[in-house]
Amino acid sequence: MENMTDVEASPTNRARKRSKRWVTARKIVQYLTLAIFLVLFLMTRRGGWSPALVDLPMRLDPLLMLAHLLASRSFLVASSLALITILLTVVFGRAWCGWICPLGTTLDIFSFHRSRGKRKPISENWRSIKYVLLIAILTAALFGNLSLLALDPLTLLFRSLTVAVLPALNQIVRVTEAALFQIPALSDAVAAFDMWIRPALLPSEPLYFKDIFLFAAIFAVVLALNLLAPRFWCRYLCPLGGLLGLLSRAAFFRREVSEPCKGCTLCTSACPTGTIDPEKNYASDPAECTLCMECLDPCPRSLIRFTPGFSLAEGQEYDPDRRQILTTFGLTVVALALSRTDSLAKREPPFLIRPPGAREVNDDVLGMSKCIRCSECIRACPTNALQPSVFEAGIEGFGAPVLIPRLGYCDFSCNVCGQVCPVQAIPPLSLEEKQQQVIGKAYIDESRCIAWSDHQDCIVCEEMCPVAEKAIQLEEKEVWGKDNTLVTVKLPHVLRELCIGCGICEYKCPLNGESAIRVFVPETSVPF
Amino acid sequence: MKRYSRRDFLRLMALSAGSLTFNQLLAACGLEPPASLPMGTPTSFSPTNTAVSGETLPPAATEAPHFSTDLVVARGSDPEEMVRRALAAFGGMQMFVPKGASVVVKPNICVAYNTYEYASTTNPWVVGALVKLALEAGASQVQVFDFPFGGTAQEAYVRSGIEEQVKAAGGKMMPMPDFKFIETEIPGGVDLKTTRAFQDALDADVLIDVPIAKHHSSTRLTLGMKNLMGLVFNRGAIHTKLGQRIADLTALFRPTLTVVDAVRMLMNHGPSGGNLDDVKKMDTIIVSPDIVAADSYATTLFGMQPDDIGYIKAAAEMGLGSSDLKSLKIEEIAVGG
Repeated sequence: MENMTDVEASPTNRARKRSKRWVTARKIVQYLTLAIFLVLFLMTRRGGWSPALVDLPMRLDPLLMLAHLLASRSFLVASSLALITILLTVVFGRAWCGWICPLGTTLDIFSFHRSRGKRKPISENWRSIKYVLLIAILTAALFGNLSLLALDPLTLLFRSLTVAVLPALNQIVRVTEAALFQIPALSDAVAAFDMWIRPALLPSEPLYFKDIFLFAAIFAVVLALNLLAPRFWCRYLCPLGGLLGLLSRAAFFRREVSEPCKGCTLCTSACPTGTIDPEKNYASDPAECTLCMECLDPCPRSLIRFTPGFSLAEGQEYDPDRRQILTTFGLTVVALALSRTDSLAKREPPFLIRPPGAREVNDDVLGMSKCIRCSECIRACPTNALQPSVFEAGIEGFGAPVLIPRLGYCDFSCNVCGQVCPVQAIPPLSLEEKQQQVIGKAYIDESRCIAWSDHQDCIVCEEMCPVAEKAIQLEEKEVWGKDNTLVTVKLPHVLRELCIGCGICEYKCPLNGESAIRVFVPETSVPF
Repeated sequence: MKRYSRRDFLRLMALSAGSLTFNQLLAACGLEPPASLPMGTPTSFSPTNTAVSGETLPPAATEAPHFSTDLVVARGSDPEEMVRRALAAFGGMQMFVPKGASVVVKPNICVAYNTYEYASTTNPWVVGALVKLALEAGASQVQVFDFPFGGTAQEAYVRSGIEEQVKAAGGKMMPMPDFKFIETEIPGGVDLKTTRAFQDALDADVLIDVPIAKHHSSTRLTLGMKNLMGLVFNRGAIHTKLGQRIADLTALFRPTLTVVDAVRMLMNHGPSGGNLDDVKKMDTIIVSPDIVAADSYATTLFGMQPDDIGYIKAAAEMGLGSSDLKSLKIEEIAVGG
């Protein structure tokens, strides 16, 4: 016992205890912010929490806010919340990445450190990829496109949760519920559980997303890259990391190693971002250091300090040079030029239905120039109608919301997408305004419609039409039926001037396969 | 590059095959109900009969109702009082709801778009009154639910005003999860032999059907029998041969009591409505243990005949009730001033 007290009293041990406490503190902050992010994710729904609250993570992200500012050329007051993150970075460096970023924490959880075998070291030059991505994002933003923001860590995580994790989890729970419900002894418990869990945590209906495997695969790859190196994504790829890294060069607090370091390299192997360089006296690049504090404890002499000071960090070999910057800029411009000479840019895709009002507020309907790809609208949509676009609107439209009526209709009683959008890429329409917002126009395919072609009464489209005056009207007409007899049939007609394009007719059309009534884009700009 | 051994290859194949079949497996093990499941039991309108699941009753149309009257029409300005007085004319709610019975009240909450003034959803005070009366009669619990076709149930429950009145009356607004829709045989079904029916409605001792009387472009009117469509899963499949199939659903659910809310009637642009000009204030409530009779009488409020409505005709032909208004004992009461 006495011995122990002796050991604890030694100065080195006190320092080590302190350093362990730092790591614990970081982990607490990490798990807490991840938990908050997840709760806000779950509460991003109709009947959930206020948009001011659920939009907070996206608004704290300076990459999203800066790119949005460049692309939309309009300043949103709420965007200035991102200054908090910038301030944090200027004081502490990339502490956001080590302490706050929910994707970073997820990557720490899925670190696969036990499966990581011996591997070839990855070239330091890979670190410049994140800067290249950053430059590409900002260049594209300057020219009015934000599709690369699909690679922002917050939108990436939010979209993966929305489009892959939640639907799969929901499916597993639903199927389990359905199976257990068959057991009489459990059915009451299952019903009670279901009422408790829905809609509070899981959606009441199953979720379906097109190209779900693509979105799941992107997320899986980001996680799996951890097999190659800890926090592979954060080191080499993350464009937000790149932006914060640039700011970190001027960070006030820096990691310093004081003499007499004997070069044991323990800190180097402990560093999750691999930035402690034995060649440079165990110094680290502030643009790479996430202030995770993992290097403190291994140091046998407790020589590592984070000390204040004003200076700019020295450059690194992998920093983007002028040629890289110009090449990236040039390639981005070429890519944009290609994308804008895609045939889609001349003739808009006929079924590109955007959320209510989005067509009106975005200069470019294909690319949805104000949309930061956060997927909050997709998450909040109660009818699962909004889907992240893959190639519907060309490469520039990637990740922006598109309404697919056959998968879900725009609910006449809902305006939640415009409410949750953190950047007004979908305008915050009141319910009355939204109910009059035209998002498309329905057309009947008379060659397939049950009433028109089979001469049977169906009327489902008319019945479902939510417009008070009914944008679909039925005309009773005598027609020659199959066995050469006169039959009276109710033929649906769309009153185009009343139709708002909500798509419930297309969704509910009982015809097999493609609907006999389809919602087309509301107008087409004739290219001559 | 690492060479793959046969074991690695097999493991990979097993994994991929597993991931491909997983979904089907999940779906298959959960959603196909075993054939031996007890089928839901139609509830009879005889007041002494509280059906329990397990036995299958034949259509009970031949049973004579034990009341001095077949149908009560109440007219007045206070919906709650009208319901109370109309039921009093049958001897009170306890004639239909035995002590300890579990009761389901099924209103029409077809869309989440409008408040009750637009007459697309049942009057909330009519629903609330039924919940209250059922509880007063000694019901162990009263559950209320519907399955809207436009918008979510949670939103529709709130916007219709029904949730507020049901909760105030002591009832429960319930969700309708998929897994409670179970493939069920329809005894005596003419066109529809089986359907995925909501189990809580079948299991309830007493089912009270509370439609709102309104226009519908296919069946012409949405009344009590049409309102039962909210209790089945695949309504799209029912839309052809709608008249007969609605009658078949009536044979399955056999509500103990039907209360047609004609306080406000939607005269056009149903079932969703949305325009007050289409709403007619009728201040009427029709109550009958015979759903066919209740629906038949309601047609007259629209200036129609029972036989104008396909499902009424079909149900009468199946012997599910009487559409012959002349032969029915109808009591008309005026409530309040």
